Amino acid sequence: MKIEDVVCTFCGCLCDDLVVEVDGRRVVSVENGCTLANEKFMGDHRLQSPIRRNGKGWEHISYDDAIRETAEILCDADRPILYGWSGTHGEAQSIGIHLAELLGALVDNTSTVCHGPSILAIQEVGHPGCTLGQVKNRADVVVYWGTNPIDAHPRHMSRYTTFADGFFLKEAFRDRRLIVVDVRKTESANIADEFITIEPGGDYAVLSALRAIVRGKREIIPPSVSGVSREQLFRVADLLLSAKFGAIFFGLGLTMSPGKYKNVRNAIELTEELSRHTKYTISPMRGHWNVYGSNEVFTWITGYPYAVDFARGIAFYNPGETTSVDVLRRKECDACLVVGSDPGAHFPKACAEHLARIPTIQIDPHTNATTHLSRIQIPVAVTGIDAEGTAYRMDGVPIRTRMLFKGEYPSDTEILERLYTLVKEAKGP
Amino acid sequence: MNFLLNTGRTIRQGSYVERKNSDAYKGEATSLYMHPVDMMILEIEEGSHVRVESNQGDVVMKVHPALWISQREVFVCLGPYANYLVAPETHCSGMPDFKSTMVTITPTTDLLVTVAELMERCGGVRYED
Amino acid sequence: MSELLVRNAYVIDPLSGIKGDVMDIAIRDGKIVEEVGRNAEVIDADHCLTLPGGVDSHSHVCGTKVNFGRYMSPEDMRAGRTARKGVMHVTSGYSVPTTFGNSYRYSIMGYTTILEGAMAPLEARHTHEEFTATPHQDMLANTLFDGNWSIMEAVREKDVKRAAAVVAWTLSAVKGFAIKLTNPGGTEAWGWGEDVHSILDQVPHFGVTPAEIIETMIRANELLNLPHSVHIHCNALGVPGNYRTTLDTLDLVPDLNDKRQTLYLTHLQFHSYGGSTWKDISSKSEDIARAVNNKPQVAIDMGQIMFGRTTTMTADGPMEFKLYMLHHNKWSNHDVELETGSGIIPVYYSRKSLVNCVMWAIGLELALLTKDPWQCMLSTDNPNGAPFVKYPEIIALLMSRRFRENELALLDPRTAHYVPLPAIDRELDWYDIAVMTRAGQAKALGITGVGKGHLAPGAEADIAIYPLKPDSLDPSTEYQQVMAGFGKTRYTIKRGRVVARDGEVVVEGANSTIWTKAITPPEFDLSVDPEFVKKFEQYYTVRMSNYPVQDVYLPRGVCIATEASL
Repeated sequence: MKIEDVVCTFCGCLCDDLVVEVDGRRVVSVENGCTLANEKFMGDHRLQSPIRRNGKGWEHISYDDAIRETAEILCDADRPILYGWSGTHGEAQSIGIHLAELLGALVDNTSTVCHGPSILAIQEVGHPGCTLGQVKNRADVVVYWGTNPIDAHPRHMSRYTTFADGFFLKEAFRDRRLIVVDVRKTESANIADEFITIEPGGDYAVLSALRAIVRGKREIIPPSVSGVSREQLFRVADLLLSAKFGAIFFGLGLTMSPGKYKNVRNAIELTEELSRHTKYTISPMRGHWNVYGSNEVFTWITGYPYAVDFARGIAFYNPGETTSVDVLRRKECDACLVVGSDPGAHFPKACAEHLARIPTIQIDPHTNATTHLSRIQIPVAVTGIDAEGTAYRMDGVPIRTRMLFKGEYPSDTEILERLYTLVKEAKGP
Repeated sequence: MNFLLNTGRTIRQGSYVERKNSDAYKGEATSLYMHPVDMMILEIEEGSHVRVESNQGDVVMKVHPALWISQREVFVCLGPYANYLVAPETHCSGMPDFKSTMVTITPTTDLLVTVAELMERCGGVRYED
Repeated sequence: MSELLVRNAYVIDPLSGIKGDVMDIAIRDGKIVEEVGRNAEVIDADHCLTLPGGVDSHSHVCGTKVNFGRYMSPEDMRAGRTARKGVMHVTSGYSVPTTFGNSYRYSIMGYTTILEGAMAPLEARHTHEEFTATPHQDMLANTLFDGNWSIMEAVREKDVKRAAAVVAWTLSAVKGFAIKLTNPGGTEAWGWGEDVHSILDQVPHFGVTPAEIIETMIRANELLNLPHSVHIHCNALGVPGNYRTTLDTLDLVPDLNDKRQTLYLTHLQFHSYGGSTWKDISSKSEDIARAVNNKPQVAIDMGQIMFGRTTTMTADGPMEFKLYMLHHNKWSNHDVELETGSGIIPVYYSRKSLVNCVMWAIGLELALLTKDPWQCMLSTDNPNGAPFVKYPEIIALLMSRRFRENELALLDPRTAHYVPLPAIDRELDWYDIAVMTRAGQAKALGITGVGKGHLAPGAEADIAIYPLKPDSLDPSTEYQQVMAGFGKTRYTIKRGRVVARDGEVVVEGANSTIWTKAITPPEFDLSVDPEFVKKFEQYYTVRMSNYPVQDVYLPRGVCIATEASL
């Protein structure tokens, strides 16, 4: 059976035009997808059943036992943390946050090691953005700053920017100018009209120089700024200002580099500066397919996009203190539930060591680095393949992912609902 | 020899991300990209193993030449190997310095470790299907 | 079967013609009935003011821009925090509370139905998700058509029926309630960083004017027989001298519907400015109110501002950028492909700002100068003028001249020179307030037929009992009690169930979402129309099949179906 308009649950592009052929409980072929989509849909490497660490080895256990034991661990903990969420659908995220509320737990999502700094910047200066269709239909200048879409968001350029024809740009590749800014010459840089190589850590200075030029202060620019020549800066500023509609996309090259949220703040303020002359928008290149959804769901329930601590009864938010890496670094939490993420692979070693020290439970379809650090892992259905639910694209557009077949695994929602019920019973009214 | 370690996504890392215990993932996540001039100075060839050490620990990786990276900088895709070297300090931002870790690189004949072995070093217990 | 009897209630039920009688209200299975059995649970209202549940016909509480207002404002989240208690979840936020915060605070004030003022169709799913997490009110969504390409093309072709077909398909697809035009044409112009400045300006590229969009949509709305009229946020919001644009807009309105208004003009305070700069801004409320009084075919809401901090958020992206250029605090913007836009900035309305003082006076003047309370709803355009928790204070201001004088004494002394408010003696009575906060709103929205805004047998048993005794309370002097009383019901009853008591929510909610579906003849079915389908194939970034909001997002949807006259 061929299913059309399938939503890809890999990256924040959330492409919804895949054609997937399914034979029973098996994906046979994928059309329109990128390499990442093909791997995701064709991959078949599920953990077969719940497992529990047993001394120096592992044993298979039932779902009932796994869920009951998880509830006991969470109820016994003084300072539990519920982490991940970006790899599951919104309905599961919602239950997870309410579970954290019930437990007085800390709840955080993967933005914490991704675009968390972008959120901090937005909380300082706001965010002039738009949906991706605005860019596709209108943008004649596109900037990728500290992001490499060809590797991380393979169809971003063909669906939304460089190669995507739009209403006001009938021949996009010819009519759009592309600027790429990075510390290394990525695949994306190879097709740019203008590639700016910045010395590592130099983003803030280069953004400041461009802001100064846009403000008409060319005379204060030194011959070279963080390895970028004054001539190139002038050329790029003129290109930026020539746009009828300019779109800036930025990635972890800004959020993870020295300066972090201040880099992003500067990029937003450049956008605002350009908006005084012509139309400009800026957008973070969100990684996980539903990381933006986790920010949305966190926000409407708790008021904050990530790093929420319920220990005081109210929702408390103080990134740098209530962010996962900091809590693990301080060895503060005494139990961890991981849903839809792999902190073992993506957190610094010291954090992984603490996850191994405390009872860590993982709800995830696949074994990964965190598996080896866990006490229990509960396999679930993969949203977009054998489970469905809401996802938010990197620009905030909500799309319902599809279930392609009914498989044998429960969904994140089902597991979390059972967990919530057990914890609620244990905690009393 | 000292280098600045940068990390980021690669298409292969993304492709194998749901098979983190596979040889393919291990191969990609231990691949260290270095400018050929630096390789010459270190007297290593493509495919040589190196010990990469930071103030957090050390891990063995495999070198690949790359002209897209500057001298004295190396690139490894994000993942448990690179993160074995990254400090948990966030400077009150929540975000570690994933793209600016100082490392020392020396040639070695030691073998690459699996993700399971690496996690065991972190205190875990390996799970094998 | 569950039965409830509210005894000794001092009832004002304007739609039923009850203007203050002490009576009993019988409820069975969530509906008002003639009588109930002896075993019914009894609530003694003790002669307290008892009204149909509050209806807010224009508020921003759910959806993409509201949530972004929270997202970008941890300082606002910190300003209103409550812990989990009983059935109540944690809440955060003052001007943009979390969904549960909105729901509890509205419920405690006796509100049981809210219309979200602006939903971008492409992002409707988000609005519906938040509706589900706003459990104590029935929700409706104004759906944005101000910059809709298919609409503007139909307007250009002077094809009202096609415009109607676009509306019918879209409302049904996104489970929306009514047509919203926010700065019609201006949001598309903002896609190029531009705006339209009057109703006769051309929209770039599309060759249509706001006036043509408004006129076409008014007629399309009536062709579809939708319960509500077109709901407009006029062009030139917040610009000194904009009252002319508002009067021009009022002049466009024909009288096409005998059950309700033909055009609903929202937050009119923001559209009633004289002068030509911020230095000489003045109130033109008298001109606007005169036009409204002369046109029974329009209804308005106040858009009152109240002093203090709040967050402005609207689909009117260009206006927010202008506001940002004044305030220089922080600015968010979010344009939505082929449809609309939006912007958000935090603001502080100060008694020390003459402009803010004039704005404050204009809102009150509009309510006091509009003769017929059925034409003017009480609103703050929550949270743009103020958070909705300020409604009780606004009610008290409208009911007490003395309170207004006391407040005026605190303002910039030049205010009186620019506004007529000090000369207005009128004090609204309990009946006026009942109309302006529920009955009039339900009538304007066209939802009396689904049992909203009244207490006649068959109506939904949504009831607010306030600790106010109109027989012995003089609102003119005892305005503090009025304010306190409207701030906290003794009982809020939703669909026959006590949901809030004395300031606390006591049960888990289970709300409905009310949406409209206009049934069109097959030749107007746009799902097979090549031009319309092409929009999705070529210009939208979401496939047509993934665009409609699935039924699963409306666990208790109430569909008002109409037969289109196409």
